[in-house]
Amino acid sequence: MASRYDRAITVFSPDGHLFQVEYAQEAVKKGSTVVGIRGTNIVVLGVEKKSVAKLQDERTVRKICALDDHVCMAFAGLTADARVIINRAQVECQSHKLTVEDSVTIEYITRFIATLKQKYTQSNGRRPFGISALIVGFDDDGIPRLYQTDPSGTYHAWKANAIGRSAKTVREFLEKNYSEDAVSNDSEAIKLAIRALLEVVQSGGKNIELAIIRRNQPLKAFTNPSLCGYLEVLRSLHRPIFSDFAIRRNT
Amino acid sequence: MAATFFGEVVKTPCRAGAEDDDDEEEEERRREALEDREVRRQLARKREVRLLRRQTKTALEVSLLEKYPCSKFIIAIGNNAVAFLSSFVMNSGVWEEVGCAKLWNEWCRTMDAVHMCPTEAYCVFYHLKSNPSVFLCQCSCYVAEDQQYQWLEKVFGSCPKKNMQVTVLTCRHVTDYKTSESTGSLPSPFLRALKTQSFKDPACCSLLEQPNIVHDLPAAVLSYCQVWQIPAILYLCYTDVMKLDLLTAEAFKPVLSSRSLKGLAKDIAHSSETLKKLTTAHEVQSNIYT
Repeated sequence: MASRYDRAITVFSPDGHLFQVEYAQEAVKKGSTVVGIRGTNIVVLGVEKKSVAKLQDERTVRKICALDDHVCMAFAGLTADARVIINRAQVECQSHKLTVEDSVTIEYITRFIATLKQKYTQSNGRRPFGISALIVGFDDDGIPRLYQTDPSGTYHAWKANAIGRSAKTVREFLEKNYSEDAVSNDSEAIKLAIRALLEVVQSGGKNIELAIIRRNQPLKAFTNPSLCGYLEVLRSLHRPIFSDFAIRRNT
Repeated sequence: MAATFFGEVVKTPCRAGAEDDDDEEEEERRREALEDREVRRQLARKREVRLLRRQTKTALEVSLLEKYPCSKFIIAIGNNAVAFLSSFVMNSGVWEEVGCAKLWNEWCRTMDAVHMCPTEAYCVFYHLKSNPSVFLCQCSCYVAEDQQYQWLEKVFGSCPKKNMQVTVLTCRHVTDYKTSESTGSLPSPFLRALKTQSFKDPACCSLLEQPNIVHDLPAAVLSYCQVWQIPAILYLCYTDVMKLDLLTAEAFKPVLSSRSLKGLAKDIAHSSETLKKLTTAHEVQSNIYT
């Protein structure tokens, strides 16, 4: 049945599916894993970096991008689609600031991105964007936010979430290990993000990139050497937890 | 003869009966049929599955399993299954290549740079030197529908022995898995098993639920084994990444505890490292998805 209704974005199937939107969700799964955690005083984005070709400039392969000084986004899916959305969101952030003299709220920019994505699910001749995004930041009221958008144009707030490859495994890990107490401490929130990623990142810490925003502070990106300290602590303290979860996941 | 409005000269049909010109037409039809037949014959010859000896690369006169009696036959179909067996099984013992099945079809897209023609694909057969009745087949190419029966005949023969056990490993995209759940909620990669009636051992994972079906060469092998009452089991890994991928290849690990593969994989840690290197080496640098 799918083959009769999956060619045009503007056609519903008899059972109410928009197959092109659902297929776009599959494109998201081809991107590497992204995890987002909302702490009490910090928001963390962790990504699995894909390996870069030998002659490629690593700086041009980025999964985490700043939309404004106080909000950043990580995506999984089609690189080119992400570039278009990020450009539009960055322009919207500046336009908003110039027009109303206030920075965008996290919810506003998330709604903007989600509305843009939804438009592309309702026009003929255009396909949906093949990316999901995690958007984090602090509003002026000092409250940390984490939102997720997907190709259908929906958006929701989360305490912690994952997108991309093996997102389900990471989400299960977060459901078991996330608690308000666990993320009340900045360092513990960062460790939780790293532990969640290590569940699915095979090559260990060298392929992980982190970005954090603390209240009233700009975005800070963690390069690999900075992560080493966290990884060493995790290896020494949390090895039984890794093995136990991995065993339970594989049975 | 008659002229049409457009200036063409066409032969008008004659209702009076056969004319002398009909002999020429008949000759032309026969010539065309001969040409068609020749083209079809050449195409069939091109699509023939040939089983070749390892050393001499000459064709085997009998089927592979008639020439080499076998008690365990493990077949890996697809690049992830092949990578898994290469890392975990072939690395743990000394395997000798005994032959290969050579075939061509439209799926063989790579070109031979020297001769500028599509290269042929191979399925390679090995046996364990310490126990020559243990056979392994690595098939990374696509075997087309019309070639599957030939492949089975050339490998198993027309009257296979029932005292062997066949294990097939392959992958399929998770979107082919029919379930009432959304594919987003499935824990891919995951394993499912399908076995023949005469296979009595327990499977290492859940059995494949209805209405899911198996396709291509794995289905042909399983059907063949079911007809000939050969104990056979297929382990099908549903994954969302069809290219060579570490997570997908590692999803076959539970199969190592099965009777067929028990004892064949020795150093798991070292094998995992080998698999990592294999998947990294073959990683195609694609910037489409990030």
